[in-house]
Amino acid sequence: MNRNNYNILLLKNLSKLFGGVAAVDNVNIGFRKNYITALIGPNGAGKTTIFNLISGIYKPTAGEIFFDKRKIVNLKPYQIAQLGISRLYQDIRVFRKLTVLENILVAFPEKEGENFLDGIIRRRRILNFQKQKIELAEEYISFVGLDGYKNHLAENLSYGQQKLLAIARLMATDADLLLLDEPASGIHPELIKKISNLILDLKEKGKTVIFIEHNINVVLDIADWVYLLDEGKVVAFGLPEEIVYDKTTREVYLGV
Amino acid sequence: MNYLFHILIMIGIYSIFIQSLNIVMGYTGLISLAQAAFYGIGAYVTALLMINFHMNFFVALLISIVITVLLSFIVSIPSLRLKGDYFILATLGFQIIIFSILYNWVELTRGPYGIPGIPSPQIFGFAFDEPAKFLILSTIFALIVNYILYLITSIKFGLILKSIREDEIAISTFGKNTTKFKIISFSIGAGIAAIAGSLYATYVTYIDPTSFTLNESILLVTILSIGGSGNITGPIVGTLILILLPEFLRFLEIPDAIAANIRMMLYALVLILILIYRPQGLAGEYEPE
Repeated sequence: MNRNNYNILLLKNLSKLFGGVAAVDNVNIGFRKNYITALIGPNGAGKTTIFNLISGIYKPTAGEIFFDKRKIVNLKPYQIAQLGISRLYQDIRVFRKLTVLENILVAFPEKEGENFLDGIIRRRRILNFQKQKIELAEEYISFVGLDGYKNHLAENLSYGQQKLLAIARLMATDADLLLLDEPASGIHPELIKKISNLILDLKEKGKTVIFIEHNINVVLDIADWVYLLDEGKVVAFGLPEEIVYDKTTREVYLGV
Repeated sequence: MNYLFHILIMIGIYSIFIQSLNIVMGYTGLISLAQAAFYGIGAYVTALLMINFHMNFFVALLISIVITVLLSFIVSIPSLRLKGDYFILATLGFQIIIFSILYNWVELTRGPYGIPGIPSPQIFGFAFDEPAKFLILSTIFALIVNYILYLITSIKFGLILKSIREDEIAISTFGKNTTKFKIISFSIGAGIAAIAGSLYATYVTYIDPTSFTLNESILLVTILSIGGSGNITGPIVGTLILILLPEFLRFLEIPDAIAANIRMMLYALVLILILIYRPQGLAGEYEPE
């Protein structure tokens, strides 16, 4: 195995029960570093639940999660994020009353300016630091093509633009592992192409991407590897073409 | 003239008091019904230290801020792990407990008799003992508190508080310890309320528990909702309404007993209209859901 492509994230015997119903049922998956891995499957297959388990919003009923060989199931969401795991939500969740620029500034991992006393005692230094960060944030804004919108409130952007902002915000976290929940849903076909390219660019930058997607064409376009889930279990995995063009999976799980 | 000074002093004190809620509610999105309790703790601690220990106002003020902030942890540390509504209930409980202590711990607070004869603040032999002089003090404090609030909210700290208000789960998955930020925000609010309370006590020179009731806390939430929150200007608009509306009614020569009721009805009416037609308040940014 290529040394650079070891499993950066490992789900081991992972289960999550909600009132006796297994949303995630004894799942074992290793996610390769610098791969784009897709999780596909019907609604209720447990895909988003897996994301919530990885980011610490839910605690698993059983099993372990290792990130870079470190157990993370007992960590709080902010601690997991600090290790370098970040997330794009299906419902986007931009900070509505913050501007585009502020949405990105707040996501940078550095602690400068997070202590309120910084604003009084070390103000000049902090403002200088912030100026550098603003420049970087502007690069990300250009990267996703939101030039000209930096001082707009996030709530005034269109749905697709909010999605682009969420991607820029994700980049600001500088996380190594990115969890993308339906990055292509609900948006214009041209924008889908753009977001697909952005995700490929992120891979170029050395990021590891796991994404949930219902749009099979996007999966075929960008995924390196696919896991098909149903009722909380992994039912198939392989190269995108193998999974997507398999007759059974198409009929039973994908409904196409 | 003294009447005008009085109005301006009250505007100064209330602008501080209302900012204490602004940082908690407007920036962080936590509704606190305990601000009058912190205001009262500040007032009582400063008054008692000045009377019993002949302490200088500025020393007493510092101690009262420290004590109030420490007491705020009693509410915030256990309750901020919980979500929204439980936090409101915890602040409500704290408000009621503090009022009961002020009212019933007669040996310390003189209970319903209140504390008369609170000395005026002095610095280098200069006493702020009449309205014209006190106005200087209250204005300086109001400017300093508003400026400090501007300083701390204009850096990333302020952005994180607003992000917690907008979407706490999202910001926590960007690596920010939201519980810690909420505790800090609440304690800053408590400290600011203590400053307002200390000024109030030394200005009116007499305090009793009725100035620090749950009603006062609720009024503050109402006024902040009307003026708007989440920035520096909304609360100032709120303060002006709070102080000037009763004075305006006074000029209409409505008898006091009726005016007080009309005032409450007006607040209620304006609040309802604001919530329907302008949920961010007259000059605010935060829009409660």
